[in-house]
Amino acid sequence: SPNEHKLNFKKSKEACLSYIQDALLQKQWKRAAEFLTCYVESLEKDYSREHIGPSEMIWRIGTEILWHHSQSSMKEFNCFMEQMKTLGVKRYLKVCLEHVFHLLCNGQIDEAYQNLSLAESWRFGEQTAIQDKEMKLIQAYRGLLDYCSWSKQKNILLEHGEDGFSDLAAEQEMHGYFRKAAVNLKEIIKIPGVWDEFVKCYVDLLEFYGDHNEARQVLNEYAYNSKFPANPNAHVYLYQFLKRQGESKKSLISALKILHDIVPSHELMIDFNTMLQKSKKRKKRRLGLEVIFAALDYAGWKENAKAWSCLAKQVKQIVISEKHLDWIQQEWNSRKDWWPAFHFSRYLAKRNWQENTSLSYEKALVAGILLGKDCKYFKYVSHQGCKAQLKRFRMLKKFVNRHNPVYLRISG
Amino acid sequence: MEFPAALFPSYFGTGPPREEGGPSPVAGWGERGQVLEGGPGRRQVQPAFVPRRGATGERWEAADAAAVPVLLPSAGCWIPSPAPQDILYRSGLCRKLRAGKSGATLDFARQLGHFFVDHPEDAFGSLGRLLHKNFYLGNAKLKRPARNSTIRMTALVEDINRLEARRGCPRQHLASRLRWFSHLCRDWLFEVPLGLLADCLHEELTQQWSNLLFDDSLTGGALAWLPSEDGGTPVGRLLHPGGQAMNHLYFQDVVLEELPHARGSPAQFELSGRVRQVAAARVDGQDFVGVRSDYHCGVWRVPGKTGAAPTPLQVIRTDVPASCLTVSPHLPGELSVCTQSGTIYLWSVETGLQQLHHDPQTMFFRDHSPWRWSDFTSHPRVLSCADRTGLQCLDARAPKRCHFDLFKVGEEAGCQQGERVVLPMYLGRAHPSQYLVTTQSSVYVLDERLPLVPVLKWAHMMKAPPLFAHLMPGKPGRSHKVLLGASQTQELLLFQYRDGFWGVSSGGSQSACQLAGTPQKLHSIAGCLQHLPTQLPHRHHLLQQRLAAPAAGLAATLHEDGPHKSMLIFQLSEAGDIFCQRLTHKTAQPPVPPSRDEATTPSPAVPSPAAALQYRRWLRALSRACREPPRHTWPPSLSQRRLFTRRDLEGPAGPSSLQKQMRQRLRQTMQEGGCIQHWESLALQPPPLPQTLEPAAGPDPLSARLTAAWAGDWEQWWEERTSFSVAQRQQALRDRRRRQKRAQGRRSLSASFTSSLTYQSELSELSDGGPSLLSPSHPHILSQEGSPPAGSPPVRFPPASPVPDEALLSSQSLRCRGIPKERRKTLRDYLSVWAEGPPEPPEPPGSQASQLCIPSSQSQLSSASQPLRKRPRMGF
Repeated sequence: SPNEHKLNFKKSKEACLSYIQDALLQKQWKRAAEFLTCYVESLEKDYSREHIGPSEMIWRIGTEILWHHSQSSMKEFNCFMEQMKTLGVKRYLKVCLEHVFHLLCNGQIDEAYQNLSLAESWRFGEQTAIQDKEMKLIQAYRGLLDYCSWSKQKNILLEHGEDGFSDLAAEQEMHGYFRKAAVNLKEIIKIPGVWDEFVKCYVDLLEFYGDHNEARQVLNEYAYNSKFPANPNAHVYLYQFLKRQGESKKSLISALKILHDIVPSHELMIDFNTMLQKSKKRKKRRLGLEVIFAALDYAGWKENAKAWSCLAKQVKQIVISEKHLDWIQQEWNSRKDWWPAFHFSRYLAKRNWQENTSLSYEKALVAGILLGKDCKYFKYVSHQGCKAQLKRFRMLKKFVNRHNPVYLRISG
Repeated sequence: MEFPAALFPSYFGTGPPREEGGPSPVAGWGERGQVLEGGPGRRQVQPAFVPRRGATGERWEAADAAAVPVLLPSAGCWIPSPAPQDILYRSGLCRKLRAGKSGATLDFARQLGHFFVDHPEDAFGSLGRLLHKNFYLGNAKLKRPARNSTIRMTALVEDINRLEARRGCPRQHLASRLRWFSHLCRDWLFEVPLGLLADCLHEELTQQWSNLLFDDSLTGGALAWLPSEDGGTPVGRLLHPGGQAMNHLYFQDVVLEELPHARGSPAQFELSGRVRQVAAARVDGQDFVGVRSDYHCGVWRVPGKTGAAPTPLQVIRTDVPASCLTVSPHLPGELSVCTQSGTIYLWSVETGLQQLHHDPQTMFFRDHSPWRWSDFTSHPRVLSCADRTGLQCLDARAPKRCHFDLFKVGEEAGCQQGERVVLPMYLGRAHPSQYLVTTQSSVYVLDERLPLVPVLKWAHMMKAPPLFAHLMPGKPGRSHKVLLGASQTQELLLFQYRDGFWGVSSGGSQSACQLAGTPQKLHSIAGCLQHLPTQLPHRHHLLQQRLAAPAAGLAATLHEDGPHKSMLIFQLSEAGDIFCQRLTHKTAQPPVPPSRDEATTPSPAVPSPAAALQYRRWLRALSRACREPPRHTWPPSLSQRRLFTRRDLEGPAGPSSLQKQMRQRLRQTMQEGGCIQHWESLALQPPPLPQTLEPAAGPDPLSARLTAAWAGDWEQWWEERTSFSVAQRQQALRDRRRRQKRAQGRRSLSASFTSSLTYQSELSELSDGGPSLLSPSHPHILSQEGSPPAGSPPVRFPPASPVPDEALLSSQSLRCRGIPKERRKTLRDYLSVWAEGPPEPPEPPGSQASQLCIPSSQSQLSSASQPLRKRPRMGF
């Protein structure tokens, strides 16, 4: 019966697909390719309503095979992609985009640009939401490539400018690239998403043409619009922009304060701490201590010698001045039940001493103040340091012994 | 660790997932995802782009044709967990009905029936005792006085049997008698009210069925590998559950050579629950191991040195099954525990349990699953908690106030509809702020610093949801390797990702996460079946069943031996088998060798000799371990020495002259090849014709006699034939009965019924015993004056028969004889005492005879057969 025929066809289709899958997962590209030529028949009777139809499957599998197959060439790949574009109308833009990605990764920037332009002019019925998104991405990538051309042109012109020439046509061309890039990049970064690359390029363009207000607005929007994800890079870009603009310390600190609130473990926290420590205001210095303590809570900072030296420096300052010991006490209160095991165990003392003496010095100083002179970490490191006849370790021992009452006040 | 300077572009939406469709078989292929302008290219003329997916990865190739067993199977056979056919209704009618509807039909009636048969005491105990006198199950007609108060149930039983035979027949209609009976006694017959019992059973059945569809109790896996600290010899410790109930925890030292093999005997702990998960983390050079069973969690400390004994530290008990146990990689002796009631605890060995979160509801949208998970994050005081809808991070110091959403099943991560979190895992060893989340269709890599937006997403295309994952961090600039494992299908998938593609050489700047290379399928345990030596069909079937048991755990280790790098992957099955496979690293070849793809040859077609040897050893051990204990296969045997005194058994010093003569004749005839019938006509006194006592049931008298003669027992046979001997035997039997009665002393026989039955059976045995000389022990016992030939010691006789065999004792056979349940025990006791014979010789302790009379209804795992415990027992 015809019904049975359909069923068998479906079954053999599934079997074929599973063979292909098996071959792909075992990197047997030739075998997979042979099965794929059989699987193409499945296009004949495509009654499936699955969300990935045979045409998409063929595109995905074929692409994967052509990436890895020994005898495939770029020409063949392009040819296959062109066929795939016509095969599935719904996925046209997606296939175009993937094709462009492949060209870009292979350094064929011009071909990629052509493809993007072509895809941009594609129209078919009413666009779905996904197609709309894909179209926006295509435009954005074209903008990115325009930016690259602009940047290239700019560099050439700058070199020529040094020689004292001015090439009006080249300059016009550059401005043309700018306009094309700016239009497209501006569009995509309005939509919520992660657009680090596009934002950076757009801001670069704006800055070059002196539109700092627009640049600031774009960066502020990217960082503070609540519809966007909490992307640390958005804050970093804003901070870097402000720094480039020579903004006041206050605005830099407020930008970093927000970054600190969302990512206390960001690497810029060292800069932030240094900035705060230099401040004359007590509140800021207090914040600086908070920032460095918070950063050192994270496992990724455990062996960061720079961070430890920041903390050691600030703690030492406070201890010597004997003012604001309560700051340390407050920070220490929420940590004293786990920092000793996390940072100041005997095992770590041994390892830090072996791997990084200066790290162990800074840590030992902090440990000696926070946990007293009987702390395992301090005892081990200072003992080893004295044994190795290092002067600063002897000084350290003296310092900690002299300030041992501080420990009692902090812990009490 | 620095945050990437730029991330791959992506849209960010909120709300429920919009993309439709389930997992697709090829969704993970052929996509670059997005591209990003690579850093070093900045200053070049041409910008360079890098893809999110499709970067080159390391090449790892299987070293052998299939996975190889690491440890030999332990004694005791594996009891497979229920299969769909065990609890689903199977019949043509039902299949037809089901074709229209979706879902399976649970065979509720059969299971309830099983309960009544297997636990009659629990089901009908008290009323059974009350009514047993009034129910008669025999075939005989009831006599007058009894008929007034007794019902004959035989017809009812026949009706039931008929019903059983017609099962699934569309024309079946209930027999009116059954309907009548069930109406009459439905309300009072059952010990547990039927409705309640049915509810419980139904609940259990649906639970079992949902476990069959997806068993999340195994999440995380029950296998762990602890690498050893001393670098010299490549050793490590494998932690795995074992034993028939998987309730023993083993710490086995394993040497990593060509094939990993066990060294020494493992440290062993007996726990009082099936081990569901084994989690381990190394802190300050010591390993902390958390073990989860349903209602207990325990923690051990294992010093990093090889050979150091593991120390049990603490155990907690939960009222609701625990669903997760993870060990902190930051602080020694800290773990996190989740229970199915939605509670998450931080468990510190020093300070005890701290409840962080309690919410029976799921976090982001409603999902019925009570499964919860928790893991640590880069901040030692911040824990993640997960349910099927997503992940949240909580600060243990202020869990109510400080929390943020890390992952949501929704548009944020570009999920599909119906996607659910299967396993979250902290990837701290590779990157301190990264997280892995697997769902049934995709894997996500998340960065805590950028919550909700996955830094990597890839459709893994596995057939079953990945319940196990294992991370092997790569050195800076190299790719990290992640293994995903599924339970039901035993799938194993290896993929690589990188979190720094600009490399150390170009400044080492941190960059966005990239998927590297193509995913790779690894050998599953079941795949080695084709490489095992050919088996008998039924053995093959059993082996297939065992090898296809769902996977229960996954562990792996990277092993560097000079320039050779290899990866060893261990997979545990629910049957307790641990198989291992080795992948070897191939250094990158020149960019375009003539045959780039075929260079990645598939794994060897045949196992190496070492592997083949290991297969054979494993098979041998398996067949030894799974052989039925002798008491199940052989009828119980009894030493005659225990029935009779030495004096009883003592015969004359040698064969009599007549015997000698006869034997000589026989031998002579045989040598001559003469006809054996003629020997009677020799000069011997012609024996009188044997007088048959019974119509020949066994072999005819002639051949019986010849057999006896052949064995040298002719004389004895002859004596049995004579009537004198019969009388004597009857006398001997009576004597023995008297002796036994005396021996039993005060042991009361509650009814003469049983005693008369045994007596009858004895007598019938006696009359049966006549011609059956093929089992001649019976005559031997009785004819004490007979002279057994010296050449045949009594022990050589096949075991037999005054001992009531198992069949007689089994409750079924007793029931068939119409013996009420409560009397069966008495009967069994009586029969067993009778079987033990006269008590004169002291019973050897632990002899086989003591096991003889365990009633078959109690034939569960008897504790006596368990090996003696040596290791301390935790409070599990």
